[in-house]
Amino acid sequence: MKNFRYLVLGALVATALPFTGLVVGSQAQLGSLGRAPAEEGGPLMPPLEPGQAVQGREVYLSLGCVSCHTQQVRPAGQGRDIAAGLGGRPSVARDYVLQPVVLLGDRRIGPDLANYGSRAKSESDVLAALRKPVHAPGLRFDADGKPDARVTALAAYLRSLRQDYSSPEAPLK
Amino acid sequence: MSRIDAPLRVPFTLLFGSAALWLTLASVFSLLAKVQLLPSGLGACEWFAHGRLEAAARNAFVYGWAGNALFALNLWLLSQLGRFEIRNGWMAAIGGLFWNLALTWCTVSVIVHGPGAYALLDFPAGAGPVLAVSFALAGLWPVVAYAKRPTGHNFAAQWFVVGASVAFLLAFVLAQVTVVWAPASGVVQAVAHSWYVRSVELLWLGGSALGFGYYFVSKVLARPLHAYYLASVAFWTYFLFAGWTAPAALIGSPVPLWVQSAGVVGCVMMLVPVLLIGLNLLGALSKEGGWSRAWNSTSLRFISLGLTSILASIVLAAWSSDRAVNAALRFTSFSEGQGVLLLYAGVTMCVFGASYAALPRVSGGRWPSAAAIHTHFWASLLGAVGTVVSAFAQVGGRSPDWAFVAAGSSALLLLGHLAFASNAFATLIGGGESPQSHPAHD
Amino acid sequence: MNDRNRHSDRNRPRQGGPGPEGFSDGRLVEVHSHIARDKQEPAQGFSMTPIFVVFLFCAFGFWAGLYLTRNSRGFSASAFDLDAPVASASVGPAVFEPDAAKGEKLYLANCAACHQPTGMGLPGAFPPLANSPWVAGDEKRIIKIILVGMAGEVEIAGAKYNGNMPNVGAALKDAQIAHIATYVRSAWGNAAEPVMDVSVAEVRKALGSRGQYSPKEILEAHPLGK
Ligand code: HEC
Ligand code: HEC
Repeated sequence: MKNFRYLVLGALVATALPFTGLVVGSQAQLGSLGRAPAEEGGPLMPPLEPGQAVQGREVYLSLGCVSCHTQQVRPAGQGRDIAAGLGGRPSVARDYVLQPVVLLGDRRIGPDLANYGSRAKSESDVLAALRKPVHAPGLRFDADGKPDARVTALAAYLRSLRQDYSSPEAPLK
Repeated sequence: MSRIDAPLRVPFTLLFGSAALWLTLASVFSLLAKVQLLPSGLGACEWFAHGRLEAAARNAFVYGWAGNALFALNLWLLSQLGRFEIRNGWMAAIGGLFWNLALTWCTVSVIVHGPGAYALLDFPAGAGPVLAVSFALAGLWPVVAYAKRPTGHNFAAQWFVVGASVAFLLAFVLAQVTVVWAPASGVVQAVAHSWYVRSVELLWLGGSALGFGYYFVSKVLARPLHAYYLASVAFWTYFLFAGWTAPAALIGSPVPLWVQSAGVVGCVMMLVPVLLIGLNLLGALSKEGGWSRAWNSTSLRFISLGLTSILASIVLAAWSSDRAVNAALRFTSFSEGQGVLLLYAGVTMCVFGASYAALPRVSGGRWPSAAAIHTHFWASLLGAVGTVVSAFAQVGGRSPDWAFVAAGSSALLLLGHLAFASNAFATLIGGGESPQSHPAHD
Repeated sequence: MNDRNRHSDRNRPRQGGPGPEGFSDGRLVEVHSHIARDKQEPAQGFSMTPIFVVFLFCAFGFWAGLYLTRNSRGFSASAFDLDAPVASASVGPAVFEPDAAKGEKLYLANCAACHQPTGMGLPGAFPPLANSPWVAGDEKRIIKIILVGMAGEVEIAGAKYNGNMPNVGAALKDAQIAHIATYVRSAWGNAAEPVMDVSVAEVRKALGSRGQYSPKEILEAHPLGK
């Protein structure tokens, strides 16, 4: 019987320890993180999201775009993200404070989208990317190639994706 | 059918039957997801969006197949080891029923409405509590069986299985709270999610599979494990370090450096239990023709393959947590290959092995078709190898040729699983007619 | 699977009875319980394995501690990049803002005793900083003087000095030195660029543990007017 208690308690503690250390620990550090200016008196960053972008995120989520696209730029010493032009600086925790769910992603079948908004020059660039055959499932355009409401919202969301401002933790060079 | 096996029969049949169904369904989804990646694609239907198919396949595989199969097999194994007779088997059956209903709801929702942001946590928020309660009803029997065992005897397989069962429930509840119900702030969600995924993979699935390993290696070879007195160290270090490996999946991500570094340390520390478990199990297998005897036993053939894959995948995880290596491998198909190595070639092979021994015992029948066993083994072995190789081969960049190999391997897996599922159903259902007429399987 | 195997698969002995083809469950548990129990008693003879395991633990634990301290940036919540300059992570807000007001306070505490609050120095003993060509131009010059000091004969603003300025900066942080230099370079009619903490960090690293400069050495490295 004694054995039994040790075993169950021990296994529970062993499972919970990393949770306490990693999750509770980083929540204690980052839980109160908010928007901040890069320099005194500067604008608060990250910028607020336009309403259409908020709707667009729902579309992004529901079509599972996260299974092929990440939204994070690694530091220059950790992979080629910056060298490949995916961003001007590494992503930091503050960039994500406004997002209700964080779509960091884990796999890049398509390119990283953390800075897609600053890469895409115009609305039509975005729509052209969405018209590619890989993106066919779920994205509808009418006969003259006009996007439906969901695609429009999704495009607004994609254009809002940018980490091209200086952050207190990671200044733009 | 022994005294112990008889009352198990109803819950076991229900649980394992659903497991086999989910396995087939998961293979269909995963085949479709692989076909979706071929140049031809799968058309514009929203339900076939790659992200949805993948999420559905993953959920069906982990919760549907592995979950149900572990409910059944863990209960069976600990009943055997603890001479435990289940009294309230209906509770396990009800738990299993609700688990499967909730899971069906989740799968439909993923296909029709879309997945969430976090793999393995992407169900509607309401499904979480149902799954947690069903797990408590169906998945905690190993704990009861262990607590009630009449002799004070103890064996490593029991620790792993009991540990795995309680670890999952705790991890699931904590993850539901911090990721779904009251999401932590920003990137902390990603940290919590990575911890949950690793806990599921290594503690629940991996832990149970290792439990099967400890049992069957010794049982089939009829010899004590090598350096068995190290098994308790192996068990505790495995459980202590496994969860810390999680943030190695976030190296380079916008989470504080110390979190990433803790992940690297966790991955490397896992080499300690790997070494000890390897000593216990592979050590026993390597003595006196153990491997060839393993090859000749259906159960142990699957299980020794599975154990080797699990250990290999943990070693690979340690290697790929090196920052320089990780810089090159992260975001590529490496992690896919790594996942298949652990969850399919590792855990699932062990589950297959255990079920080849357990099903005939519980149902009192026997596996009707040797050809189906044959097909199952080779199809799943080749399918696993093909999937892992095609994933590792595409680390440098995706190629349509390897995408075809991956899709072909998925098709092979589906074939193997159809053979397995039909054979399993025949065993479960057919066995009851003449419980004593066939020799039970080991 | 060949025929022989299939044969043996089908005709496995029944469970129970420790037959030649497998342990019974009872026997399996018993055998292992014995091994586990015996090993808790002092073992007869001497086995190297437990010692090996203890050694293994120590080695892994040691490495883990080392790795964590080296790669965690003091467990800071704002460190995401191992290659980012350390200074910005260790001092206050991550982005450095050279601040002349802070610099004035630090100047009064660390320099004014010799160079005077007016920046005019003391004739014959301490040279002036106001309108001194040494202060303007290349920021490395003033950083070096503050960090390791300067001693020897020198002519500044038409007057000769042969004093000894100690390594005042050794006790100051990079950011503090940057504030002071920024202040000195902008006060009393001086009008040179502010100085960043990273420049101080760079110079400090390059100087290592070198001793005081002589005026001649400094002028060779950073001639006036540049
Ligand atoms: C099956 C994997 C896959 C899925 C799912 C997917 N994408 Fe893509 N995406 C790609 C690939 C591959 C490319 C590169 C296409 C090319 O360059 O021809 C790409 C390119 C893009 C681009 C252009 C990026 C750039 O830098 O030019 C955008 C924008 C994009 N995808 C958005 C989305 C959105 C929104 C979704 C969800 C509806 C999505 N993707 C789902 C694979 C995918
Ligand atoms: C103990 C007295 C003393 C203190 C304190 C001191 N200095 Fe000096 N400083 C001197 C002397 C003496 C010289 C001239 C050295 C020589 O003759 O070679 C000098 C030279 C200099 C020079 C170059 C000559 C010039 O006038 O432009 C600069 C710049 C300077 N000091 C800056 C500082 C700053 C900034 C501080 C405070 C961080 C400081 N000093 C603190 C004594 C001091």
